[in-house]
Amino acid sequence: MYYRRTLSDAQINRELLHVVFTTPMWWIVIVGLLGLVVGLAVIAVGFMFNQGLGVTGLRQPVFWGFFITNFVFWVGISHAGVMISAILRLSQAEWRRPMVRAAEIMTVFSLMAALTMPLVHAGRAWRIFYWIFPYDWSRGIWPDIRSPLIWDPVAIFTYLISSSLFVYTALIPDLAVIRDRGKGTWRYPVYAVLSLGWHGSPHQWKLQGMAGILLSALILPVFVSVHSIVSWDFGVSLVPSWHVTVFAPYFVIGAVHSGVSAVVTLMVIMRKLYHLENYIWEEHIDALARLLIVVATGWFFLFWLDLVFSLWTREEQEMVVWNLRLFEAPWGWLFLTFFITSYVIPVPLWLFKRVRRSFTWMLWTSLLVNVGMWLERFLIIVPGLVRKGPLVFDYGTYRPSPIEIMIVVGTLALVPFLLLLFSKFFPLIPLWEVKEGQKLIDHVQLGNVEVPALVKEH
Amino acid sequence: MVDAAHEIPPLPTHQEVTRDVLARFQELGARYWGWVTVLSFLFVLGILGFVIRLTCGFDDRSIWGYHVATMSFIVTTFLAMPLISAGLRLMKAHWRRPLTRVTENMSITGLLVVLMLLPALAALPPLEGRRNIWFDFPLGAPGVWNVLGFGNLALVGLALLWVLALPDLAAARDHLPPSARQRVISWASLGWIGHLRQWRVLYSASMLFGAMYLLAYPLVQSLLIADFHAGLLPGLKDAIAPARAVVHGIQGAIAMTIVVMYVMRRLGGYERYFAVDQFWALSKPLLAFSLFWFYFWWSSFITFWYGRLPGETDLIRFLVLNSYLGPFIVSMVLNFIVPLVTLIWSPVRRSAWGPALVSVGILVGSYVNEVRTYVSAFSIEDPTLHALDGIPPGQWPEAADVLIGIGGIAGCVLLFMLVSKIVPVISMWEVGEGLRLTKVRRYLNRQVRVIAKSH
Amino acid sequence: MATKTKSSAQRDTPKWEMVIDLDRCTGCQACVIACQAENNIPINEESAFHEHRAIQWIRIERYWEGEFPDVKARFLPLLCQQCDNAPCEPVCPVYATYHNEEGLNVQVYNRCVGTRYCGNNCPYHARLFNYWEPVWPEDLRNQLNPDVTVRTRGVMEKCTFCIQRIRRATRGGEAVEDGALQPACVQSCPTSALVFGNANDPDAKVTRLKNDERHFRVMEHLGTDPSVTYLKQVDVDG
Repeated sequence: MYYRRTLSDAQINRELLHVVFTTPMWWIVIVGLLGLVVGLAVIAVGFMFNQGLGVTGLRQPVFWGFFITNFVFWVGISHAGVMISAILRLSQAEWRRPMVRAAEIMTVFSLMAALTMPLVHAGRAWRIFYWIFPYDWSRGIWPDIRSPLIWDPVAIFTYLISSSLFVYTALIPDLAVIRDRGKGTWRYPVYAVLSLGWHGSPHQWKLQGMAGILLSALILPVFVSVHSIVSWDFGVSLVPSWHVTVFAPYFVIGAVHSGVSAVVTLMVIMRKLYHLENYIWEEHIDALARLLIVVATGWFFLFWLDLVFSLWTREEQEMVVWNLRLFEAPWGWLFLTFFITSYVIPVPLWLFKRVRRSFTWMLWTSLLVNVGMWLERFLIIVPGLVRKGPLVFDYGTYRPSPIEIMIVVGTLALVPFLLLLFSKFFPLIPLWEVKEGQKLIDHVQLGNVEVPALVKEH
Repeated sequence: MVDAAHEIPPLPTHQEVTRDVLARFQELGARYWGWVTVLSFLFVLGILGFVIRLTCGFDDRSIWGYHVATMSFIVTTFLAMPLISAGLRLMKAHWRRPLTRVTENMSITGLLVVLMLLPALAALPPLEGRRNIWFDFPLGAPGVWNVLGFGNLALVGLALLWVLALPDLAAARDHLPPSARQRVISWASLGWIGHLRQWRVLYSASMLFGAMYLLAYPLVQSLLIADFHAGLLPGLKDAIAPARAVVHGIQGAIAMTIVVMYVMRRLGGYERYFAVDQFWALSKPLLAFSLFWFYFWWSSFITFWYGRLPGETDLIRFLVLNSYLGPFIVSMVLNFIVPLVTLIWSPVRRSAWGPALVSVGILVGSYVNEVRTYVSAFSIEDPTLHALDGIPPGQWPEAADVLIGIGGIAGCVLLFMLVSKIVPVISMWEVGEGLRLTKVRRYLNRQVRVIAKSH
Repeated sequence: MATKTKSSAQRDTPKWEMVIDLDRCTGCQACVIACQAENNIPINEESAFHEHRAIQWIRIERYWEGEFPDVKARFLPLLCQQCDNAPCEPVCPVYATYHNEEGLNVQVYNRCVGTRYCGNNCPYHARLFNYWEPVWPEDLRNQLNPDVTVRTRGVMEKCTFCIQRIRRATRGGEAVEDGALQPACVQSCPTSALVFGNANDPDAKVTRLKNDERHFRVMEHLGTDPSVTYLKQVDVDG
């Protein structure tokens, strides 16, 4: 697998640090455009704060809409970082190396995007600190820990802090490289502080490795808990079609599905933009695609359980929601789109090696998955509220307002915006991981063929 | 990962492995027949218990609860074992090689499960008026579909076993002196000569049957849960239950594999194949699936408990807090708490006895959990109600139930022992392949293993 | 003896409940208007109904019985059921809604940050959200009830059983005479379909009526244990 290119350490340093030391034109243009979209979203949020939530499309029985959908979506995307990094690190999968940093930092940024959503969705966002930061000196009362909305910020902040630590720990050796190459410029003092005096002694490497493994192991329960807790926002309520026991693993595996797809998208775009052909190979996205087949099929199993066991009850309210979801416009069309884009098109395509090893195909299929997964969250959350409940004649459909759409599009721009900014100051591919990977490459002679081999414990 | 400072002993050659495995395979000593006799006796006891139940007929459903629990235990442990082989092969884990055949040979127990399924289906109440997954699509539902589902799993398992055994059957055919057994093996080897095309077919077929087994197993667990558990408990809507059963199945399968490896080490002298490496590697997923099982259980518990719907609260009381509190605690301790507090320690994982001890506990807990799941469901008199009518008491086993339980498990072990004298219990070709792909190299000042990626 | 002390202890803390006799309800909406005036609820103009954002603490749900031409219009006044096992309470992260010792499901506007989770989890859809800052015409400003908070935008609100009247009546600490304390809707009902009182008082009208053979509670299968009991004669002949 790793016989394709042998790279010298100097070449790795030069190629991966290229964008840190230069500022290409396309970078300025894209960052500017994305910044514009983010800026518009900020203006939209300001307008909404000024006017009230009346400017959204929310109405009487539909209390949650685009914002919460988007929140669940971004928390889902954030699951990729740990999936790639921690699990693959613990299972010693060699193909993880070039993608860990980008996946981890996407975790951090998508969590930030996710966090903005419940904040702006609240009726009095400026008072939300009551809710997230438990303090009691002004009210004499703590937040109610029975509420899933307290579990949410606890889980998400834990995840944000631990994944930031995870990113930082893995970043230190690379920061030292930038420090050493930036002598005499403004970079030297900044990166000297950031790299915490790293000089690559065996002791430091040992500590860094141990920290990586420990953080990987500790972050895994957090990783599972975050989306489970998000799912319990819905699961523990009494809303028909939300009150489903399978939600926790269903959300988690759906999150992995959409998150790993997002990593694929990111890899393909990164490779193109930063000319990383020497580092991101067909084999890497092939491995990701094979992982995705398994994850998507597991996700499909849980989706199927949700469907079967909701119809199973034959209770009127469950039937009303599923009827709405499947057969009434526009929900039925959305459902069809979701189902086709998140499973029916990509997974059978991924069964072909040609597709798995084509960057173009993988870009489009992985984007399709995330279109579908966004719709999935929308279809989980909104029809359960829109449905015609008993004793409620004041029901009606939900149509997002332009303000809501602007804010959602703003978060879609925010994450690539932050990623591009990050890439200007830190390498998106970990130098030391790639170098370590190069050291572990070997060859074994089998008959008259030389087969690539890896140094492994078992 | 390069920290393995120990000197690696010289690797055996493929020929040595073949010679060693075939020598063990060939002998049919008094010890082997002694075990077969004991297991046969226990199995006959099980049949006796079954006949006692049969004389009572199928009108009283509750007496069949333990029969179904035993059947489900076999599905959850023995019949889940090929999943390990299929899954590890898909993941290309090298350490799988010595242990795959043990798990594949267990797929023979599918035959016993299909036989046990028939009386269980006869005891099911009619579909009318109760919740079921068959809706208006009867066509002999649920019986026909269950037989098809279980039969499919059993057949795919046997196909996986047979296909992967071909090279070893051929080796046995060529090395064993002529006898009745040799003739059977010779027939079963289907003319394998190790041709390149044959190998290609073998690799594709093993992937295909492996994937089919991975897909068929969740379906069978879904059938079990839907028809024998959820469909009988009034008011239960627990969509996660089949997934939890699958997770429990994988946990049980890993535990059973570890126990079988340990027994074979101690009684059969297979230390060389079932090294500490195998225990170490298997106990990591064992810990993971123990945590998963708790997580899958907790997901449904918190949904019911927080929702406070009266129907669901009654079901929690019935299945967890009141009637089956004892079994619940036993399975929670053995399937979750004990693995958690022991297997997180690397020294425990990195031994043979540690994982084996934990695994025995997991198997006991699994059986108790199956009792909680199925005996409780079968003890409900009227499954057409919309909620439980009061909290029924738990049901203790009777003599016949104990006999069925012992007989069922003994029968599985017996089948394994019999089939292991047709198909060698160590996959010689897979071990050999692994040896060819492994080289010992010196890296800095240490000896390390270098493993070739064969694709 | 023991039961006696217990019942007298119960009598000390009242348990406020309501009985709604559907056989008496004519659907005249007087309760809705009275509630609107009493509780400083913003004026629901036509646009509010079109937006599905009208705020009504009590609403008359109309439904039809029978097939045309033998069709009868039926009415069911629906308000916050003040559930003893309220699904809206545990989900609030800031304790903006909680259960007080008088059996009331209390909404604290100042604590509310507007997550709207309680609204999703209320099976009766009795909880309402202030999407806009409420505005009253200039000449109605002086009509606002000084005992009731004017809610700002971004908070949830719902029926309180006119807690301001309860507070006023029980301020001295002495027991309230049955029938003397009435929420605005009860007070304004022309057919006396609505009855309010202390259910811990065995002699109260509400206690007597809630055990009437016609009684039922809405969505009892959810186990919410509502404090509002409905009375309805079931027409056996159809």
